[in-house]
Amino acid sequence: MDLISSIDDFMLYRDHLESLRGAIPSVYICFGTGCQANGASQVADTFKRVIEERGLEMQVDIGFKTTGCHGFCENGPLVSLKPGNTLYLRVKPGDVSEIVEKSIAGHELVERLLYRDIRTDEIIADYNEIPFYKYQKRIALRNIGEIDPTSIDDYILRDGYLALTKALRMSPSDVISEIEASGLRGRGGAGFPTGRKWRSCRAVESDVRYVICNGDEGDPGAFMDRSTMEGDPHAVIEGMIIGAYAVGAHQGYIYVRDEYPIAIHNIQMAIDSAMAKGFLGKNIMGNGFDFTIKIIRGGGAFVCGESSALMRSIAGRIGEPRSKYIRSVERGLYDKPTVLNNVETWANIPEIIKSGAEWYRQSGTEASSGTKVFSIVGKVINTGLIEVPMGITLRELIYTIGGGIPNGKKFKAVQTGGPSGGCIPESLLDLSVDFDGLTEVGSMMGSGGMIVMDEESCMVDVAKYFTAFLVEESCGRCTPCRDGLPRMLDILTDITDGRGEEGDIELLEELCDALRWGSLCGLGTSAANPVFSTIRYFRDEYEQHIRNKKCPAGICRKLIIYRIDENACTGCHECAKKCPYQCVSGEMKEPHVIDVHACVRCGICKDVCKFDAVAVE
Amino acid sequence: MDKVGLAINGIYVEATSNQSLIDIARRQGIPIPGLCYHPEVKSSGGSCRLCLVEVIQNGSMRLVTACNYPVTEGIEVSTDTPLVQRIRSTVIELLLSRVPDAEIIRGIAEEYGIGDTRFRKDAEEYRDRCIACGLCVQVCEEIVGVSAISMLNRGPDKVPGTPYRESSSTCIGCGACAYVCPTGAISMIDDEAVRKIWNSEFTLRRCSICGRPYMPEAQIAWMVMTAGAESSLFDRCPDCR
Repeated sequence: MDLISSIDDFMLYRDHLESLRGAIPSVYICFGTGCQANGASQVADTFKRVIEERGLEMQVDIGFKTTGCHGFCENGPLVSLKPGNTLYLRVKPGDVSEIVEKSIAGHELVERLLYRDIRTDEIIADYNEIPFYKYQKRIALRNIGEIDPTSIDDYILRDGYLALTKALRMSPSDVISEIEASGLRGRGGAGFPTGRKWRSCRAVESDVRYVICNGDEGDPGAFMDRSTMEGDPHAVIEGMIIGAYAVGAHQGYIYVRDEYPIAIHNIQMAIDSAMAKGFLGKNIMGNGFDFTIKIIRGGGAFVCGESSALMRSIAGRIGEPRSKYIRSVERGLYDKPTVLNNVETWANIPEIIKSGAEWYRQSGTEASSGTKVFSIVGKVINTGLIEVPMGITLRELIYTIGGGIPNGKKFKAVQTGGPSGGCIPESLLDLSVDFDGLTEVGSMMGSGGMIVMDEESCMVDVAKYFTAFLVEESCGRCTPCRDGLPRMLDILTDITDGRGEEGDIELLEELCDALRWGSLCGLGTSAANPVFSTIRYFRDEYEQHIRNKKCPAGICRKLIIYRIDENACTGCHECAKKCPYQCVSGEMKEPHVIDVHACVRCGICKDVCKFDAVAVE
Repeated sequence: MDKVGLAINGIYVEATSNQSLIDIARRQGIPIPGLCYHPEVKSSGGSCRLCLVEVIQNGSMRLVTACNYPVTEGIEVSTDTPLVQRIRSTVIELLLSRVPDAEIIRGIAEEYGIGDTRFRKDAEEYRDRCIACGLCVQVCEEIVGVSAISMLNRGPDKVPGTPYRESSSTCIGCGACAYVCPTGAISMIDDEAVRKIWNSEFTLRRCSICGRPYMPEAQIAWMVMTAGAESSLFDRCPDCR
């Protein structure tokens, strides 16, 4: 059956797929970007070859799938086996024969490839029992890792497009009511109630309306939207069809940055197969509703993730924001009423329609219902992609799921919300992670990036790093952002270089105020957050830099000196050999000395010393 | 257009909803500074941030730019609160640090009692007078209709220019961009019968009566083409017509 021209047709097709589904043992290989970078495609090739050889010999069918990102990127390439849900980590092509032999032909586990909890030393084979997964609740990421993203049938077998059939039997207004009742708020960062946005768009009189998916994920360290577009493109598309039906739009756009080639490829494939099935196009499932989607590839400007800049970019103009005194739901793309939601928001829609607003509200908090996807990176043991109910504490996120701080170091701060988010200190680790909680402490949800920092991070340096990013990415349209951020960077550079003066902190605070109150777009108004939040929670570190010309974390090169502890030094000469400026001297087996005037504080001596004899002062 | 009533600094004012707050206030004799806004250019405004004012709408207060904020019934506007003064002063200092040589900005700074900026200035040889407000680009597109220039680069390096900064085949040398520039940042030099602007040279037509070179031939050709006027109309300058 090719074109599905009615809801009855769809149900028949679904039953037909169901009947074909056998319970054969299957291998699922993560083909997310991280796993591919670690050699997942070589592992997959080996599996294919071994299955072909061994499958014939064993006289059994073995299923084989490449999937989207499982999230546990730290441990890739990931291979999971079904039935049984065994997860193997860091699989190399050389491990494949053994896996097929023991775990597919037989019922044994390959223990060395299983997850081992570094705290309890416990070995866990079941995917869902590993702490990283156990405390997650996957709604937006429901299919990722479970399906081949290029197969529409895989998606349909996981209840895909079922929500669409339900929505098409509801009135558009009832669809909006369901989304309103679910309490879903925009996952792109600002947290505007999605249902209300849809309702206002529908209420505007217009011949044409648009829906847009914002896939211009630009925050350093964030990859949740990328993983969704790569691993479950139909979820985004189905969400958009439902949204378009609800607001009365017939054209949709998915704006994806061109740096995401797999996302673009998988979405295009998904659009094509949804067109072929009749989920997109004219008279969708006999309902009379028409809708098509086009991909727009973004050129990589950070500011194009801002909704009004994104719409200008789609229209072929320079990606610059406009004053949003008139909202996009009234006058958006080509001055027509437009609903723009982010990838994760769209991916949530089908589940909410399918299972109902009540069900969705069971997760999360009163004001922030549902779940949120985070990419948790930095100084944390389990880096990767997770989805958790809103209202979870930062402590649970970082310690229970993230596994804590590696190498026995102490937690210092977590930066949430991307480059223009804020740094949250240890004293606030029990903070509830939701839209309002994060905003209250001077950070934000943003799109869900989370960078964990340990005691070896200098907070002034961190503020300088993010400010430098924002200077590069400011579009330059308004004075506070264009000229305020570089001046902020000047002052931060002075402080970290030992030229800080009394009054610098106050001057930074003034600039923060000018940005927050005076900037044109959301990028500018939030750009002060890194500086503002680090001053708020780590003011003493700024003061140490300014008054005592000291960097307590030992990061700011102009403020530190490397010295060799003569009692600990064994005279192995390793540091002297590796020093790029030949400024370490000493006889073999005698304590060495660093010439502090020639030293450029690169820290290589400290890194190579096996005896902890190099100290930072 | 709808009639709306609003309060500016406590004074009740009537206006129509298509008027900009800055024009309404200025007509009332309430000064609001502003560089990037031009009443005749619809797409202008929102960039320099000098015209920030406090607006209370439905009980919530925020700072908005008076040049492009759509006025609605019942809003309360304050143009000179401590918050407005504070943010405006920082914006003025930032503009001073960017273009310390622009007289108009020095004048505004003086009005606000700001002698010098506390922020770092560029070295003199790198300074120009552009504040990247974009008015030149907007005029070229919206009023002249040729779109010969656009904003190049981004962030602090954002400036207007022709594509690749080369001589532009679409520019008609009319000089509207230079005329409208609030800080006099665009160089336009008329040397005898030749105008130099945006790395191009334009021959100026001389008035057949007074002999003064007064308008680029390219601009005359554009006006003949778009307005359907006779080329001979431009043989005399406006003063001699």
